[in-house]
Amino acid sequence: MLSIFGLFLFPFLSAIAMLLLRLSPKNLKRAALILSVIPLIALIAGHSHWTGIEANYEWLPALGIHFHLTIDNLSLLFLFLTALIIPFSILAVHSSTLTSPNVYYALILMLEGLLFGFFTARDLALFTIFWEAMLLPLYLIIIMWGGNNRQKAALKFIVYMIAGSALMVAGVLSLYIFSMAGGGGGTFNLDALAKTSLSIPYASWIFGIFLLAFAVKTPLFPFHAWLPDAYYEAPVSGTILLSAILSKAGIYGILRIGYELFPDLLKMWSPLLLGFAIAGVFYGGFLAWRQNDFKRLIAYSSLSHVNFILAGLFAMSQTSLAGGILQALNHGITIAGLFLVAGWLEERLGSTSLKQTRGLCKYLPQLCWLTLFFVVASVALPGTNNFVGELMILFGLIQNPWLVALLGVSVILSVIYMLRWMQNEYFGPPSPYQHSWVDIHAKHILIALPLVVLILFFGIYPAPVLNFIKPAVEKITAFANLEQL
Amino acid sequence: MSIANVATTLNLTDVAALSPFLILLIGALVVLLIETFAENVASKLSFPLSALILIIALVAAAYAPASDNLLLTPWLSFDPLARLFTIFLLAIGLASALLASAFFQHFKATQGEYYFLLLSAVFGLLLIGSSADFLTLFLGLEMLSIALYVLCGYMKRWNISHEASMKYFLMGALAAAFLLYGIALIYGAIGTTRFDGLLSGYRAMHSTQQSVLFLGGIALVTLGLAFKAAIVPFHVWAPDVYDGAPTPVTAFMAVGTKVGAFAAFVRVFLVALPQFNPIWSEVIALLAIPTLIYANYVALRQVQLRRFFAYSGISHAGFLLIPLAAGTSDALPALMFYLTIYAFATLGSFAVLAFLDDRPAGVMLNDLHGLFKRSPMLAGLFSLCLLTLAGIPPTVGFFAKFFLFKVAFQAGYYWLVIIGLLTSILAAYYYLRIVGIMLSPVSKEVAPLRHYWPAAVVGVISCVAIIILSCYPAPFMAFLTGE
Repeated sequence: MLSIFGLFLFPFLSAIAMLLLRLSPKNLKRAALILSVIPLIALIAGHSHWTGIEANYEWLPALGIHFHLTIDNLSLLFLFLTALIIPFSILAVHSSTLTSPNVYYALILMLEGLLFGFFTARDLALFTIFWEAMLLPLYLIIIMWGGNNRQKAALKFIVYMIAGSALMVAGVLSLYIFSMAGGGGGTFNLDALAKTSLSIPYASWIFGIFLLAFAVKTPLFPFHAWLPDAYYEAPVSGTILLSAILSKAGIYGILRIGYELFPDLLKMWSPLLLGFAIAGVFYGGFLAWRQNDFKRLIAYSSLSHVNFILAGLFAMSQTSLAGGILQALNHGITIAGLFLVAGWLEERLGSTSLKQTRGLCKYLPQLCWLTLFFVVASVALPGTNNFVGELMILFGLIQNPWLVALLGVSVILSVIYMLRWMQNEYFGPPSPYQHSWVDIHAKHILIALPLVVLILFFGIYPAPVLNFIKPAVEKITAFANLEQL
Repeated sequence: MSIANVATTLNLTDVAALSPFLILLIGALVVLLIETFAENVASKLSFPLSALILIIALVAAAYAPASDNLLLTPWLSFDPLARLFTIFLLAIGLASALLASAFFQHFKATQGEYYFLLLSAVFGLLLIGSSADFLTLFLGLEMLSIALYVLCGYMKRWNISHEASMKYFLMGALAAAFLLYGIALIYGAIGTTRFDGLLSGYRAMHSTQQSVLFLGGIALVTLGLAFKAAIVPFHVWAPDVYDGAPTPVTAFMAVGTKVGAFAAFVRVFLVALPQFNPIWSEVIALLAIPTLIYANYVALRQVQLRRFFAYSGISHAGFLLIPLAAGTSDALPALMFYLTIYAFATLGSFAVLAFLDDRPAGVMLNDLHGLFKRSPMLAGLFSLCLLTLAGIPPTVGFFAKFFLFKVAFQAGYYWLVIIGLLTSILAAYYYLRIVGIMLSPVSKEVAPLRHYWPAAVVGVISCVAIIILSCYPAPFMAFLTGE
């Protein structure tokens, strides 16, 4: 029996269990891993049977808020991504040096629960609650386990986020109030709001409020100022969470609220937004090129790629929308892999600087080739997952050949900065050997293997996953009345 | 109504209805007597006795019947709201007594008088919460204030307390004068000081002179109450007084006085004169805007935590003005919900401060460095309270703010909502900065934390209440909305 409420509740119960367990650091990590894999197994076991499953309880009658969760294809895709990435984020933890491991794992699992809630919420107020609540575990992860400047980075991160979505409550309430216009009580139900939101006053202001919140969290250029510090200062597993899942929350918001409630406005504003997104692709790319630190380099490359996804969403054609949704999944997988191997490298070097060492391939061959694989996937070489997604985005933009050419150039840019990293760090004349440079073991390869398999699978045979997202794309296309290419 | 029907005696039901008041009054006097005649006994007995008195009064309040005796009802109301306020205020009194007992474990001073004054102040608060007439209201406010003037300067050898106490007394006396003058004007306009006669008196006015008198009176009453609630621009006393008073007194002022002042606002303006005049609502909305902006801005720079909580309290007063301005049927439950959450979170915070409070100057922001390492429990509790005050989901503080904003939206105060939301960005910054400091490494050698069980009790109860309300606020909300 599939229960969405059980799926939602399980991570929280796991988090409480993690707080109570008294185990050695190693066993604690194992326990957390097992607990985080269970939702993934449940999702895989149920696969498409999960769609349509619903939970609806009256939660706060005085405020009209329902505890309403529903899974549709779009939700399910993001649920899969979340359930997949959380175990990798736990695997990226170095259990022997982690302080207060109980709290750390509990926070990650709590975040998983909040994300499950967020990706399935059908009540706009509930959606907002999860949207804001997911910041807290991330804030604590950065501030308690981050790098030297973690205090500043964490505060900057959360204040940016809260500032971005501060007015969202006003937007939610105005939608509620205006939904009363047709007679009867107000509602926070997204399906009902989708019917009334087309004809409300001040719609552009309300949509602007939501869009700002989504743009800050994703982040869309130029709302990214929090990103470099937060990604850099967070511990590796926190960076994986930020880059692979948190950015997808913003993308999901645009798909869910933007496309379903304000399709006309989104269409009207799309040229401007597309401009921002393309600027972001290049801005992130150029800055990644100039970094002398590989963690920052990957952070900026993530900014660039996320803006590529947004370009797909704002291109307003069915193909690029499908490409964008697919890319959201692909980017999550690839960036998790990149940060995972970058974390292993950092562990061995003791720093993330690009300047200090060279020619590591001689000492760390396996890590080198694994990194190269994720780099190749990240620059969208044919045969990898990103190639399919980015190609679809470009294909959807075909009516503007100049834009296609421009975005095509950005792919070359990503090759330049990524290979610059590889060349600086792994190739070239080797630096003198240090005893901490021990190559990764079979265990590490085994950890990365699922990501490698997924990257190749989606790259070589994308039909199943495209079929999987097809209903979601068609639903959104119908909402927004997009041109079908 | 003929004279024959008017009761001239109190029967048992009436005494039972009055029992919380009587228990508190007699108890307070007993505490004072013990202090006068047996000082040695008082130093041991005052706290347990006061706590016991408050607990008995709480139980009595929960079961007290309503009285319809005409000797009482013109002065005191026995409606569900009065019962709610009574229980709420007695609980705050109990928490303050617990915090005070923790304080006296470290700082030596006579205790009997302290608890007598505390109980008197709580008695004043109860009168405000149950008042049915301006005179009861004024009596309650004065009993509260006079006790507090003394309590502020209770630590006679603390220099900072002298200034605080003097300042509070002078400003408080002025505010009381305004309030009394306002009451006199209202009486002049409509010939009664009873709350249930206000609305009909206001509606029945036909001459301009009368309405000038009445509205002038209302303006002065509002001013007097705004002073007590520390609303910008009548807040100037609050930071200095909070800063200079001993920490448990600050806690009592931050919660008790705040609740008392808003209870008075509720009694006069939400219950007796709901939406009587749109201009009054506009004025309250206009007061809320500078209160929210100023308090949140100045709180950014505070390093002394008592002073910090003064500004935090002012900013929450700004939020509490929003339902007063709206004045709709949902305004009262929204206000009560917010007040309750504010009280829990603030008392929880002061419970944490009680552990760190070791000198007259109070706890500084720097003292919190590395609190998470020193005591994860205290730091966790403090963080929870601060997040609740900041209104960050999933804490119940978010629902409290959401409720307020919903009420304001329905009443059409869009700008107030937007300003409230924007200032909450500042609030998030200054509350989370404290959380960040607690999580940072220890900066200097620190003495191990002392253990005060009374403060721990307050902390644990606040923490449990916040967690339960965060997960499932529906029953309490339904209780307040009367469903």
